[in-house]
Amino acid sequence: MIEFIPRYWYNIVPDLLRPLPPPRDPEDSNFSRIELLNSIIPKEVLRQQFTAERYVKIPDNVMELYSLAGRPTPLMRAKNFEEALDTPAKIYFKYEGATHSGSHKINTAIPQAYFAKEEGVERVVTETGAGQWGTAVALAASLMKIRSTVFMVRVSYEQKPGRRTMMNLYGAEVYPSPSEITEYGRKELRKNPSNPGSLGIAMSEAIEHVINNGYRYLVGSVMEVVLLHQSVIGLEAINQFDYIGETPDVLIGCVGGGSNFAGFSYPFIGSKRGSRYIAVGSSEIKKFSKGVYEYDFPDSAGLLPMLKMITLGKDYVPPPIYSGGLRYHGLAPTLSLLVRDKTVEWMEFSETEIYEAAKLFARTQGIVPAPESAHAIMAAIKVAQEAREKKERPVIAFNLSGHGLLDLSYYQKMEAK
Amino acid sequence: MKKLLVSYMTLGYPNEADYLNFIKGADELGTDVFELGYPPDFAKYDGPLIRKSYSKVKSAYKNFSELLSKSRNFTKKKIIVLTYLEGIQNNLDEFLKNIKSYGADGVLFPDLLVDFPESYSGYIKQISERKLEPVIFVSPFVPDRLISEVSALSRPFLYYGIRPTTGIVTPVGVGTLVKRVKNLIDNKLIVGFGLKGDDDIRESLSAGADGVAVGTAYIEAFEGAGLKGALDAVKKVRNILDEFE
Ligand SMILES: Cc1ncc(COP(=O)(O)O)c(C=O)c1O
Repeated sequence: MIEFIPRYWYNIVPDLLRPLPPPRDPEDSNFSRIELLNSIIPKEVLRQQFTAERYVKIPDNVMELYSLAGRPTPLMRAKNFEEALDTPAKIYFKYEGATHSGSHKINTAIPQAYFAKEEGVERVVTETGAGQWGTAVALAASLMKIRSTVFMVRVSYEQKPGRRTMMNLYGAEVYPSPSEITEYGRKELRKNPSNPGSLGIAMSEAIEHVINNGYRYLVGSVMEVVLLHQSVIGLEAINQFDYIGETPDVLIGCVGGGSNFAGFSYPFIGSKRGSRYIAVGSSEIKKFSKGVYEYDFPDSAGLLPMLKMITLGKDYVPPPIYSGGLRYHGLAPTLSLLVRDKTVEWMEFSETEIYEAAKLFARTQGIVPAPESAHAIMAAIKVAQEAREKKERPVIAFNLSGHGLLDLSYYQKMEAK
Repeated sequence: MKKLLVSYMTLGYPNEADYLNFIKGADELGTDVFELGYPPDFAKYDGPLIRKSYSKVKSAYKNFSELLSKSRNFTKKKIIVLTYLEGIQNNLDEFLKNIKSYGADGVLFPDLLVDFPESYSGYIKQISERKLEPVIFVSPFVPDRLISEVSALSRPFLYYGIRPTTGIVTPVGVGTLVKRVKNLIDNKLIVGFGLKGDDDIRESLSAGADGVAVGTAYIEAFEGAGLKGALDAVKKVRNILDEFE
């Protein structure tokens, strides 16, 4: 039902327990990166980033495009999956893979492209890891009738030709990163010609390309404004849960920069629905277990203002695991705070574990999940098993952030093992 | 009620004579409260202009207390010392005693809530015990509950920094932000930090601010047109404030 789509986005900053450390420059800086943002990010996006209102109205045009792109997404009960797990828990999932671009990323790509177009920008630029974000930007740009360029992390570019094709089909120009297009990319390639790339590097390339050409950059995760737009997931889920007369106790999402987890869980946290919120990362990229809470750059080049966040360091080159969307060094500042004050718990799982989770889910519910999303499934399995042992009947809800139909080479590889 | 003008200046900027003349002139032109920047180790939430002014005065003077006490001779208005708590928190009491004895009426640490979220109330108590007024700095990044809580402790007003850094204009909804805070507090509200241009000032006041704090604009004017330029900038802000009664 179209009525499930909320009319406002929700921002958690006014409801946090403590202040959010503001973005800032490093100590030795002689220019302001916050000022530089003005020539990188569309004005209205920046305004939303820095104007901490609890509720922000979703523009009518964006509402229309949300519906065009597949919102509201289904909230489904995974009954067959529950049975396979032999758990007394009820398990629901919000299926963001049902959007046309295949993941939650479209929720912020549309408003950002819309605000870019509003100020007369002709091309938007971004980076992509797994390819989900790049796909969303490619589609959003075409819907707004503007052009797009995507720097795609080289390993993903090579591993996922299907993603590249989809972006091209939607109308984007796609380059493997590090690339020869930018100074930063050339430097990285000279250092290491077989550099597998990282989100941090691709981000730096995209920003440099924007600054040099007067384009605008679309942000895929980490920044509060992205989390704001993604709140459409959780707000919509609340409407759907209210409709069926259910309230979840445990909310789960996978975490790269934190946007789908935050988008799903923050509206529940803010309205005091639920009692456990679980952010799930990869045990190959130990952000939660090894990351430190400090000011760090979101991009490897250090062109964006520093954010205080849980981070593995901007120069961290993550191992080339398949869940490209989780290969990022930082964690959104509000989510970092919530993890530190223990409002949000975390878990980390390995590729082998999430493969088993994905397989079970595919066989019982018919959906092939993105490997990123399979981390959330694995956490749901853990909680469901715990419930069985403790003889409790919690209502578990996880966000299935994307489908895995373009990740079949990953599943092939795991199958072969 | 007359709207309040809070004038910021970095202690001793751009040189002692011009600085003191600025204090005197800005007082006569209708400044209600002075906010004097005491150079910190790292002005982490300030923009490039104020940061530059700090490095300039740091290389020119050793004794900022003396400058503070000289400022006292040129104005009877309230003097709030602005500096960062980080770096002095271990000698805080000495610092407070010192600035009090040289004529300060209050103190403002922009990093108090953000960087000391667990211990800020102890520091506020310490400030009050030294008979100084604690001016609490809040921003759009401070949660509502905390804004209400600290507003009750903030004297002589609550200071609301509207942008992430001084002197840098980013698009923000000034009116929206100010209204949000007004609804949370029962105190005088001064809006500053990155407030730029007449429109921003008018929008803050229309939304209910009791006054504004201006600093970077004076420093910019000093750089461009010297003391006269800086004082003209004070006059201009005062005139805007006087449109609102
Ligand atoms: C399907 C999917 N899930 C999750 C993520 C992780 O990003 P975030 O933590 O911002 O949701 C990505 C990122 O590319 C993704 O494609």
